[in-house]
Amino acid sequence: MNSPAAVGDVCPPRRYTHSRVQLFRFGAVSWNSHRIHYDAEFAASEGFSDVVVQSTLHGQTLTRYALEWAGSDACLESVSWRNVATAVAGEPLTWSATVRTVAPCDSGVRVTLDVSVLRDVGAPCVTGHVDLTCRAARTSP
Amino acid sequence: MGRWEDEDCGTVTVKEFCRYAAAVDDVDYLRRARAREAAGEPVEAPPLFLAATMSWEDGPAEEELRPDGLAARESPCTQGLPVRLVHGGQSVRLTRAPLAGTRVTASRALVSAERKHGRSGDFVLLGLTTRYTSPDGTELTAVDETVVVLDVLRKGATT
Repeated sequence: MNSPAAVGDVCPPRRYTHSRVQLFRFGAVSWNSHRIHYDAEFAASEGFSDVVVQSTLHGQTLTRYALEWAGSDACLESVSWRNVATAVAGEPLTWSATVRTVAPCDSGVRVTLDVSVLRDVGAPCVTGHVDLTCRAARTSP
Repeated sequence: MGRWEDEDCGTVTVKEFCRYAAAVDDVDYLRRARAREAAGEPVEAPPLFLAATMSWEDGPAEEELRPDGLAARESPCTQGLPVRLVHGGQSVRLTRAPLAGTRVTASRALVSAERKHGRSGDFVLLGLTTRYTSPDGTELTAVDETVVVLDVLRKGATT
């Protein structure tokens, strides 16, 4: 965040992919043994072109890029998201966010972002929002 | 429905936090956490560490897993049924970040079950709530999530 956030501000998008190795490691640390996340043959039997990105990994990504945008003194208050389509390993994805609200709070400013993960065709696979608190009148991290 | 069950998550550690951070390629967290640990300072968990962990059980032997790889604990209300489970979404509220060395309890309940009709057929939407607390009862994180229960013959739904 290069200046105090204003309603309607569009955050710089972030482009990324999740590798098969990352999905495996995330499944391991989160104790998620669903085969759809590491067994490509099983995922194919369910109709997917590769192993599937975990819902909670989407939540992690939504949150992380929001915090990076907000700067090092930002604090996550809440995050919520809805899965609207499936993303798979190696698929180009884009984190997208717009400032929905900015309001003063005890610790500074509370900022709510409308966030999405977009597939390469531009359609969202995840939509949600992230609530952050930032120290008032902060500038670039 | 509405019956709360407690699960002991154990005492969370810097090692667990750092493995989580490594899995999501958050090397900045790794550096900060290990530096704080070396300085004898408290180390907070990554914000979604508790919410992202699917189960705190040791887990059953492989032969006891469902065909999709999930344990019975991870398929609420559907044990033994020929269904597919997909995650509909999640809402996470962070009240206080757990510190390494804290013993955490997860209390979970099924709070709703709704039969729905979509474009590709009927499904059931389960609502689950999990509250993570420290030994003094302080809420650390609360999670509301939805699980979609589909017939096994249906393919290609959401994650």
